[in-house]
Amino acid sequence: MEEKKEAKHENNEMTEKGEGLYDRYYKWLLVLPAIALIFSIIYLYQFNQQNGDIILKDVSLTGGTTITVFDKNTDVAKLGADLKKDFPDLNIRKISDIITGAQLGFLFETKEDAQKTKTALESYLKYNLTEENSSIEFSGASLSAGFYQQLRFAILLAFCFMAAVVFIIFRSFVPSFAVILCAFADIVMTIVVVNMLGISVSSAGVIAFLMLVGYSVDTDILLTTRVLRKKEDKINDRLWSSFKTGLTMTLTSIAAVGITLIIIYNLSETLRQIFTILLIGLSFDIFNTWITNVVLLKWYAEAKQGGKEE
Amino acid sequence: MKFTWRIWLLIVLLLLSILAIKPSFQAGVVVKSIEKNSTLFEDGLRAGEIIKKINDKTITNKEEYTNAINEIFSGNETKRIDIITAKNKYTAFASEPPKITVEDVPKTKLQTGLDLRGGARALVQPEGEITDEGLNNLIDVSRNRFNVYGLSDIQIRGVRDLSGNKFMLIEVAGATPSDLKELISKQGRFEAKVGNVSVFKGEKNDIADVCKTDATCAGITACNQMQDGYVCSFRFTVYLTEEAAKKHADATRNLTLDESGKYLSEKLYLFVDDIQVDELFIGADLRGQATTQIAIQGSGSGKTQQDALSDAKSNMNKLQTILITGSLPYKLNIVKMDTISPLLGNEFTYLILIAGMVSMGVVAIIVFARYRRIKASLALLFTSFSEILIILGIAALIRWNLDLPSIAGILATIGTGVDQQIVILDEATSESKTLSLKERMKRALFVVIGAYFTAFASLIPLYWAVAGLFKGFALTTLIGITIGVFITRPAFSDMIKRIEGE
Repeated sequence: MEEKKEAKHENNEMTEKGEGLYDRYYKWLLVLPAIALIFSIIYLYQFNQQNGDIILKDVSLTGGTTITVFDKNTDVAKLGADLKKDFPDLNIRKISDIITGAQLGFLFETKEDAQKTKTALESYLKYNLTEENSSIEFSGASLSAGFYQQLRFAILLAFCFMAAVVFIIFRSFVPSFAVILCAFADIVMTIVVVNMLGISVSSAGVIAFLMLVGYSVDTDILLTTRVLRKKEDKINDRLWSSFKTGLTMTLTSIAAVGITLIIIYNLSETLRQIFTILLIGLSFDIFNTWITNVVLLKWYAEAKQGGKEE
Repeated sequence: MKFTWRIWLLIVLLLLSILAIKPSFQAGVVVKSIEKNSTLFEDGLRAGEIIKKINDKTITNKEEYTNAINEIFSGNETKRIDIITAKNKYTAFASEPPKITVEDVPKTKLQTGLDLRGGARALVQPEGEITDEGLNNLIDVSRNRFNVYGLSDIQIRGVRDLSGNKFMLIEVAGATPSDLKELISKQGRFEAKVGNVSVFKGEKNDIADVCKTDATCAGITACNQMQDGYVCSFRFTVYLTEEAAKKHADATRNLTLDESGKYLSEKLYLFVDDIQVDELFIGADLRGQATTQIAIQGSGSGKTQQDALSDAKSNMNKLQTILITGSLPYKLNIVKMDTISPLLGNEFTYLILIAGMVSMGVVAIIVFARYRRIKASLALLFTSFSEILIILGIAALIRWNLDLPSIAGILATIGTGVDQQIVILDEATSESKTLSLKERMKRALFVVIGAYFTAFASLIPLYWAVAGLFKGFALTTLIGITIGVFITRPAFSDMIKRIEGE
């Protein structure tokens, strides 16, 4: 009876041969995310050993000064080279117009206090930094350290709350665990890429990881709901239909985030980092949801079905 | 297409939001602050009025205002200035520009945060333990001191973080006072003088306590109807140390009585950082008395009894705050200080709008390409736009400052919103033999509600973390997803039901 229904079903793109192969070997697919996750965890362990933390933190999390100067003429590369000896931890970046590419100014970041940084920059630039031509942001070291601890705690709490809600919604261990594992893998793998890109994470960047918690479970919830509650189709059909929907969802999100990222890329450090992290995270979400979560769910659903038939 | 009540609800909320955001096309400049001791203030010109004309010259923006004022007061001679506002006409004669600060009339009721508008922000932490009442006092005192310096467009609020630390967050939007830092780090130097003699300096060893909230020693004593309105008087007790009481006695011992015979010939003058902020009559019975309890009296007036009452209360509060100023036992540390140039603000707003538009367009194209349904794709676009407008409407209503994290929050909400609309659209367009459209919609809403609760739960901790600096993000996102799940998603699913049912 199921055969007949399948013939009429719109999801007949999967060939029977392919489906047979998939059904036989699908559990082996788990090897991919398992390797990726184990690699990520080892990498982060190593990273933590070397850098004292699992991420690189910018001045908003370590304390220090960020000065944005709206100066169209100064040679930013030369400025960086000249001031490197006074500010060894210096981080400097050009701000430019998205359309013309012309320099609008630059961003100067250091762990030193605001006054010292301002004075040094003023004497180099040979003019005073005022509200009209610059922005100065300063955070004290102990405050920033406190912020970082709280943000970490907030993420941990958010993750636990999310996990609790997922368990309440699905009321069965394996599917809920699969959803939570995917969200965890998304975050861990994203941190690895962020580290590899050498991005110093700001407090806003940490928020992006939190947004990722919310974003990444959407598709997992869709998938789990369809597989567990859509009883009228075969499991593979349910998976395939969720895959098409979920992929549309993630692709629209990636498109929106990507476009926004391109447009604000050179203007706002805050938004740039939030959207970069989201973009990386969403890409991993495709991988984790449609391999890890799907395989675990299929395994679970088949085991349950098999159990019933016996 | 028949409109269901859910769709009507969305439309009504949409219209209300547009009303709340209230786009304004008025030309002119709005008065942000005005010097209290000026003729124009006495004539009734107040902050919030919109200046339309100055000496018959039409004013449409801040630049024209500055030009007009500079033209009138180019020399040193006394000039006549006629200011026509949307409400009234004011005339003054002066030799220098009126002490008014103005801004362009805002185009909407939306308020943007410091990172878009420019300004200064300081996060101040009092050293040592501080109680809730202590923090509130500190905030009152600081607000008062900023007013003394004429900084009025200022927001001060107490914030606490997850670890229980208490901070005072000070934001000065628009103009950036370079001395904000100095103003905070320096404790208000308070001094009270009788004539030229300094009596007390408001240090811990001068004023022991100021009665503020206790009704037995502070409050309104009487309200009376006068010729043209009402006058209410207040009274509160200040406790002096023995030493200060003795100084007071010495300073008043040789004074004479004034004409009425009720008060001494010299007044008590109150100074903050050498600026005189108030003067008080000294009762005749206090002459030469080394009293440790002195009663401070004053009054407030207004057209109605209610006005007079609130004026008296605010005057009392101001005086109490000044007297407490110097006796604040806290050393203040600036733990975070940002000054943000407004230079890129406009470009930001513009680019974020562009980013939003382009993203929505591309999303609509992807959805159309996937489902080949033009009406449904348009409904999706419409729903997402409504969602943005409703979030902004609520932001305008609760006077929320939209900063960069809030904007990221709105973008994130729209993103998850689109995702959920796709789930609904997908269920509606799938061809199921066994389930009706209604049942499939129910299943879609299950996913939507599931996603909602997970997102909600994950945002809660952020509301309190990091001294409330990400409250904006948490709040806008929470508002956004809540509107989504209760208003826009149900309306969208009804729209899709109608479209697919046709």
